[in-house]
Amino acid sequence: MSTSTNRRTFLAAGAAFGAAALLPARGWSQGSTLVAATFPGTWNEAHRQILAPAFRKRTNATVTQSIILAHDQVSRLAAAKGGQPPFDVAIFDSPQVLDAVKQGLIVQYPAAKSPHFKELLPQFQDKWGPVISMQVIGIGYNPRKIKTPPRSWQELYDPKYKGHVGLTALNSQLGIAFLAELNRINGGTETNFEPAFKALKALLPNVGAIGANLGAYATLWQQEQIDIAPYNFNFVQTLKGRGVPVELSIPDTGPVGWNTSLHLVANAAAPELAVQYIDTHLDPAVQAEMLKPPFDVIPTNSKVKLQGAITQSIAKSHADLGRIRGFDWEKLNPQRGALIDRFNREIRI
Amino acid sequence: MLVWLSLHAEPQLETLTPAHYLAFFGDRFHYSILWDTLLLGAKATLVCLVFGYPIAWICVRASARWQSVLVFLVVLPILTSVVVRTFAWIVILGRQGIVNQAALALGLVDEPVRLLFTEAGVVMVLAQVQMPLMVLPILAVLSRADPNLADASKALGAGEWRTFWRVTLPLSLPGVIAGSILTYAACVTAFVTQTLIGGARLIYMPLHIYSQAVGANNWPFAAAISVVFMLAVLVVVYALERAGRASRSYVHA
Repeated sequence: MSTSTNRRTFLAAGAAFGAAALLPARGWSQGSTLVAATFPGTWNEAHRQILAPAFRKRTNATVTQSIILAHDQVSRLAAAKGGQPPFDVAIFDSPQVLDAVKQGLIVQYPAAKSPHFKELLPQFQDKWGPVISMQVIGIGYNPRKIKTPPRSWQELYDPKYKGHVGLTALNSQLGIAFLAELNRINGGTETNFEPAFKALKALLPNVGAIGANLGAYATLWQQEQIDIAPYNFNFVQTLKGRGVPVELSIPDTGPVGWNTSLHLVANAAAPELAVQYIDTHLDPAVQAEMLKPPFDVIPTNSKVKLQGAITQSIAKSHADLGRIRGFDWEKLNPQRGALIDRFNREIRI
Repeated sequence: MLVWLSLHAEPQLETLTPAHYLAFFGDRFHYSILWDTLLLGAKATLVCLVFGYPIAWICVRASARWQSVLVFLVVLPILTSVVVRTFAWIVILGRQGIVNQAALALGLVDEPVRLLFTEAGVVMVLAQVQMPLMVLPILAVLSRADPNLADASKALGAGEWRTFWRVTLPLSLPGVIAGSILTYAACVTAFVTQTLIGGARLIYMPLHIYSQAVGANNWPFAAAISVVFMLAVLVVVYALERAGRASRSYVHA
């Protein structure tokens, strides 16, 4: 009796062991290694430390996260169109979603297969892919050099900051959103950017450095090359976590931002896993974990209560999230090339 | 492929047009970037030569033991990534960097000097980063040169300087030319160093091509300016090559 139980246990254990050993091999042949795109900085760290382990636990599959900027993702998917895409899950900011849909690079999100999708706040349930967070911009400043938090974008023009104001090139979402906001507060519209470029020209004498990309921009803060500049809430939190003296102040004109969302790529190699991966990101437990510092990723699931740094400056409640002002990317997107070109001409020394 | 793409109006390759080339040469903004880039390469190559030649010269004259140490030091930068070396320079040149802190401490300047995001900074860093490409070819040529020639020159009554100008330098010209070609080609296309040290306000061709292709999604135009850039660099390299051939015939004559 006891021997037979022992043998059964032994066999079961052996079978489990064998299955476990076989799994990765089978996984490879069936493509159960998912490739997901992620952004540099905060996102890459949060995805590696929180999302990847949660995904592994849920599906027993592994994920390779490759760091690619949103518009690079669009370019690469467009280049690979018709064949096998270089990754299965795309991460986009609001403007790229429109581009990708127009070019047929992503497919509609199969919400029925994603149990957590319905828990999202209504404005985040997009049919092309769920919104996983919002990114908000404000005025970044070095608290060691600037004691009172800036209250308005106008403070960038203060002569006492001459040579200490930073900007970032328009290849980042931060750059383009800042220009659009500068345009709006100076009376411009989505079709008339003259006020923004006039304001930019007036600002240039104060500008000490313009980062060619977001990585270079972060270095500018780390090296205290710049003291005051438009910045992104999450990047500030990450840098702060590393001991860089930087704070974010939301100006009186209110927080502005955009959505960040995950998408199932057309012709994905592992579509089922991709949906599981995206759904893992919607899981309240995962979002609650990402809300903790230093990530402070703004949650989109209605079951996650807002807390921490977000509630001090950006949003106290879920209703406040709806009040964060966005931009009309439908109108802005076609002008992007022209704006970048004009910006590069204006700033060139 | 690149040329073919550059002759079309849109990435879908529908209409054939030379419009992108006309746009490039019709706009001061574009061709001044090309000119700046070619000039940047020339400046960096020159700085590389001025510092690299003496290094190679010392290496050749050093004792065998020191020679291997020196050559190792010259090659050392190649063993680290360009990105790492460039980031190190950001730390050195920054407002809180070593150069500025030292100058402040010595009372040479009252407030930090701007070194990052200036062309001088880019030239400096490019010269250091690409130095091995200049030193190694010169070193190879110098060490192959027959020491008897220099001795003969001295025996015939020429001083050290005269020997250098009339014998050693002409003999090493093929190495100088080869080093210059390598350094020049590496400097004008050094996207990482140019963008990290130069920032977004100093626009050179690699960054310009990148922002047209990826930022503005204007692939055909990016292809067109790549072709123009490539041809321009080829012309410079060809001119150097011709000079090199002339110098070789001089050596053998």
